[in-house]
Amino acid sequence: MPMLANGVVAPPVPGQPPSGPSLLAFFKADCPACHLALRYLDNLARSIGSGDHVLAVSQNERASTEKLMRSLGADLPLRFDRDLTASAGFGLEAVPALFLLDQAGRVLASSQGFDKADLNRLGGKLAKLLEVPDPELARPGDGNPDFQPGCVSRHLEPESDTAAADIPDLYSRRAGRASRIDLPTEADAEEWCYESGYADPLPVVPPTVERVERMLAESGLSPDEVVAHVPPNFGAASVEKIAANAVMAGCRPEYMRVLVPAVRALCDERLDIHGVQGTTHFAAPLAIVNGPVRLELGFACGSNVFSNAARANSTIGRALQLILRNLGGAAPGRIDMSTMGNPGRFSFVIGENEEASPWGPLSEDFGIDAGRNAVTFFCAEPPRPVSEHKAREPRVLLRAICPVLANLWSYRVCKRSEAVVVIGPEHAATLGRGGFTKRDVVEFLFENTGVPVSEYDGDGGEGTHEAGFYDECVIRGVRCYRKFRRPESIRVMVAGGPAGKFSAVLGSWATGPRGSQMVSYQFA
Amino acid sequence: MSLTVVSPLDERPLPEGSAPPRLASVGGARIALLDISKGGGEVFLDRVDALLRERYGVSEVLRFRKPTFAKPAPEAVLTDIRKAQPQAVIEALAD
Repeated sequence: MPMLANGVVAPPVPGQPPSGPSLLAFFKADCPACHLALRYLDNLARSIGSGDHVLAVSQNERASTEKLMRSLGADLPLRFDRDLTASAGFGLEAVPALFLLDQAGRVLASSQGFDKADLNRLGGKLAKLLEVPDPELARPGDGNPDFQPGCVSRHLEPESDTAAADIPDLYSRRAGRASRIDLPTEADAEEWCYESGYADPLPVVPPTVERVERMLAESGLSPDEVVAHVPPNFGAASVEKIAANAVMAGCRPEYMRVLVPAVRALCDERLDIHGVQGTTHFAAPLAIVNGPVRLELGFACGSNVFSNAARANSTIGRALQLILRNLGGAAPGRIDMSTMGNPGRFSFVIGENEEASPWGPLSEDFGIDAGRNAVTFFCAEPPRPVSEHKAREPRVLLRAICPVLANLWSYRVCKRSEAVVVIGPEHAATLGRGGFTKRDVVEFLFENTGVPVSEYDGDGGEGTHEAGFYDECVIRGVRCYRKFRRPESIRVMVAGGPAGKFSAVLGSWATGPRGSQMVSYQFA
Repeated sequence: MSLTVVSPLDERPLPEGSAPPRLASVGGARIALLDISKGGGEVFLDRVDALLRERYGVSEVLRFRKPTFAKPAPEAVLTDIRKAQPQAVIEALAD
């Protein structure tokens, strides 16, 4: 039976019928898209005020439904479609499913799955019918995806004789407090942490109650507040759990102001850390820090920026990796199956050398004003070096970067990779003196990076099968395929020490909406 | 003096999955193959598809594909598989 069409009178839903126009939301308790939708619908109900104009129709029994609503902090009027006849009668295929009904119970509009545009459309129509202001429920860029497919409606699920799994609290905002564990008096605390599976292979600082409390006090946040759920196991990264891992990594308490937004950004669905945690590829999440916080906390932005120069970089990066492992479950050989790994899996944080840059900071590319603190993530291969000590002119210098870019992922694979080009200060000075803007640099690199068509000679190697989809161009008289899909596939920033005409190129993992997209978060 | 530490781990008991019972025989069965979209996966699966039919008497091989290997299978793909009601699903990795 197809979903009810507009104009059709809807079948009854168990319980008291609504007293006027209403928005019915069918959901089930273990559907993440439903959890997202319910939070917006709860805001809609609150903005409308009194009455039962937004009704949540559960496909589960009362106990698990109420548990879910508590975890979401939602207070919607509930109905229970226990035998799923209403779900079948409305012709649902997936949940969440929304139906806007007029006073006579006729369908005016409907939607399935989580879709911000649909939520705004239906919420706006309901507000109009009730003559209240349009609440503009779901804005783009509010931290939630614009669209998420729903889950199959329960009346279409195959019969099962096993008990339903407990609801994963993927969107809970509060977590239980972490356990306190008394170590045996004779235990060596560091060895005990290692044997208890707390650590990467390096020694850790034992996360004693006193040390964790100092972290928490500095954060000013509630210990049970959930900052993110860390894929793929979706362990809750509460402020307290972040603090415990930060202690182990050797962080100072004041680093919590960076760690908390960094964990939030790291778990942004657009970055797809879920995929990166389990990949066989080299990728590891690189955090790039911008803003005054670099100087305030002593981030390395200059010499040895990718290595062991500063406590802030090394320990914050290590804390992020411990969080991915201890809360996300990605330990090497279990979920983390990288063939070669990446030294950045110990720690991978750099600061931008904004003082040596002729341009605005990297975070500005993502809409964050220069001068603001920001952390940007890019799931990156290890850095590839560029040496160019003779060039005195921007074009000559940039020509040395193009062949390194051409090798990303695999030489003959085009239109797949993205890149972050970290320009060393001496190179940045050459480009600045030559009048090159950041846009000029990106466009030159885009226009001049390609793979000669002659390389595609039918041997069947990686990247050759897709050559029909590549864009042909001519670079210095040679027919080539363009390496990058578009200029925005290349991001440029400045970091490194004052001496040495070096730069670095970092390639990506899988990119775009079907892979990992860079994310940048501003913080105080 | 004993130290007290704060657990840095995810303390939830992880749900334990178990494999569904094996089919006694695949002869005459409907088998679904899920391609996760890795390069070369379809080459391997085409061969598995042929062998299932020719050597093991599978009555029907149903083919499904994730849009990207980089993310979990979207609900729509799982719904399509459930609707087709195969007796078994083989999720075929590549590399």
